[in-house]
Amino acid sequence: MSRHALTALALRSAAIGYVLCLILLPLTAIGFQSFEDGLTRFLDDIQQPQAKAALILTIEAALLTTMINAVFGTLSAWVLVRYDFPGRAFLNALVDLPFAIPTLVAGIMIAAVYGATSPIGAWLLKGGIEVLYNVPGIVLAMLFVTMPFTIRALQPVLMELERDQEEAAYTLGATPWQAFRRVTVPSVLPGLLTGVFLTFVRALGEFGSVVIVAGNIPLKTQVAAVYVYGEIESYNPQGATSVSVVVLIVSFLALMLLERLTRPPDERLPVLLTRVLNAQWLVLHSNSKLKIQN
Amino acid sequence: MRIPPYVERFSAVARRFIIASVVSCIVASSALFHGVSVSLAGERELMLAIYSVPKEAYENKLIPAFKQHWKERTGQDLRVRSSYGASGAQARAIIGGFEADVALLSVEGDVDQIAKAGLITHDWRKGADRGNVSASVVAFGVRKGNPKGIKTWEDLTKPGVEVLYPNPKTSGGAMWDIIAIYGAGMRLADPKQGPAEAQAAALLKRVQKNVKVMDKSGRESVTTFERGIGDVIVTYENELLPRIKSGRPMDLVIPAETVLIENPGAIVDRSVDKHHVRDIADAFVAFLHSEEAQQAFAEYDFRTVTSAKAGFQPAKTFTQPAHLMTIAELGGWDKVASLLFGPQGLWTGAVEDLARGK
Repeated sequence: MSRHALTALALRSAAIGYVLCLILLPLTAIGFQSFEDGLTRFLDDIQQPQAKAALILTIEAALLTTMINAVFGTLSAWVLVRYDFPGRAFLNALVDLPFAIPTLVAGIMIAAVYGATSPIGAWLLKGGIEVLYNVPGIVLAMLFVTMPFTIRALQPVLMELERDQEEAAYTLGATPWQAFRRVTVPSVLPGLLTGVFLTFVRALGEFGSVVIVAGNIPLKTQVAAVYVYGEIESYNPQGATSVSVVVLIVSFLALMLLERLTRPPDERLPVLLTRVLNAQWLVLHSNSKLKIQN
Repeated sequence: MRIPPYVERFSAVARRFIIASVVSCIVASSALFHGVSVSLAGERELMLAIYSVPKEAYENKLIPAFKQHWKERTGQDLRVRSSYGASGAQARAIIGGFEADVALLSVEGDVDQIAKAGLITHDWRKGADRGNVSASVVAFGVRKGNPKGIKTWEDLTKPGVEVLYPNPKTSGGAMWDIIAIYGAGMRLADPKQGPAEAQAAALLKRVQKNVKVMDKSGRESVTTFERGIGDVIVTYENELLPRIKSGRPMDLVIPAETVLIENPGAIVDRSVDKHHVRDIADAFVAFLHSEEAQQAFAEYDFRTVTSAKAGFQPAKTFTQPAHLMTIAELGGWDKVASLLFGPQGLWTGAVEDLARGK
């Protein structure tokens, strides 16, 4: 082998080995453990009322978080990129804070701000809104830890975007909202989708901050990660890994969907579907033409 | 040294990368081995795995006293290393390979798990005081002055009373708390109203209805209570007393019907034989049952397990509940735990019913 080819092989093997050891091996181990006693045991585990309720609550809360952060993340990224104002650098740095703070600390912070003993929490309680130890608290915790994803995914794409297409739209009579919707968004779609899907997947698995603010009442305010922790602590690792596998499958499906949706334009799903339909139409059309001719 | 031709083929970058990986592997593995400590010549070492609550008692009193006694008795210098953590986490660590010589945990269920894994081969319950080294009772912590007048288990079921206890799935303490509710329910059951177990299950449901937060551990639960959440916390007496002593605005209420919590301590046979420290471990466990150690436990608000047996008068007197129950009276740990917390358990069912609005 040439020296280049050997080097390339070595580096490639190192990279693949790294991903294998760090990610694939533990995943396989979990998979084996959940299906150790067969499929029926697995289905039993995930159909326990507490497990089912935890999974549904987690997915619902993660979806809500994703929708809220998609809107506000896009807004924040837009403001940070397009406008210059005093304090912009500071605000920009703040966005990365959720990455730096241990999630437990994030939970404690949220509890301190929205708890009954703080002015904000007391004011909300008076208005009948119970944030802590209820679903709003869970969503708040998920919002905090996933905040940077959409913003950071959108910022580079927005920065690279050439303004001339937008400006062309304006000169052709588009309102700012129309220009945004039809010119900007399609161009930054890969970045936006990446941020959105990462937000969802991250919110699904969040434990540290949620366990502090959630109340963790089974079937009411207990998310999947907390349920898994409870099962591990009660010497039921199989119940734990079964639910974990479900969360993993949902995350994996989401990421596969993202991968499909962010492929280059001619490989994207709608385009592929259109091509398939076109091909079918052509076949049908040519058949009927032949029939008429005959 | 002649460099083999195939090595020469690698580019300089790849070569340096490979050398760096090999070197770091060697360094990492030597660091790992170095982590296993080598005791000095003449010094013997004992490794303890203890649950988190009695940390001060062990660090400040029990371990120094034992080291002193051992030195006087044998002239040997003893190195005692102790690890503190949640009882269940400690048990799992020992099962997973943590080579502790003595396990001092919060609930007998955790010691049984270690025995089930084959690491404890003797019948640990046959030891002094049935294998228990310290005790406490399930009690209520209320706000200073007891503004809501909470005295009995029924008071916990009143509307508008917020109750705190941890999640029994993650906390041994919570299991004791719920066992106490069950025991009280059985004790208070009116024979004219049907089977006692159904009434106990109903009491469990009524109390659980007033619970809004279930933390991961007893300690976290008390912290949440201190932060202003809840009107009453159900926990160990020995968690509440030191906080009250240090001036926190809470009061202790011991309900008339409650459960005696007993904390086990057992030698881990496989570890002591591997480290050849069986004599030290035996002596340490024996020491924990001695009057001196029990007095030390009492100082840290634990009740004694030796009771009035040896004419032993504890330095501190604790309130004696009118109807104190032991886990043995209720049927033994395994039976009660599966009755309450199993998939069809009374507590599990209560939680599910509440969620369905029944």
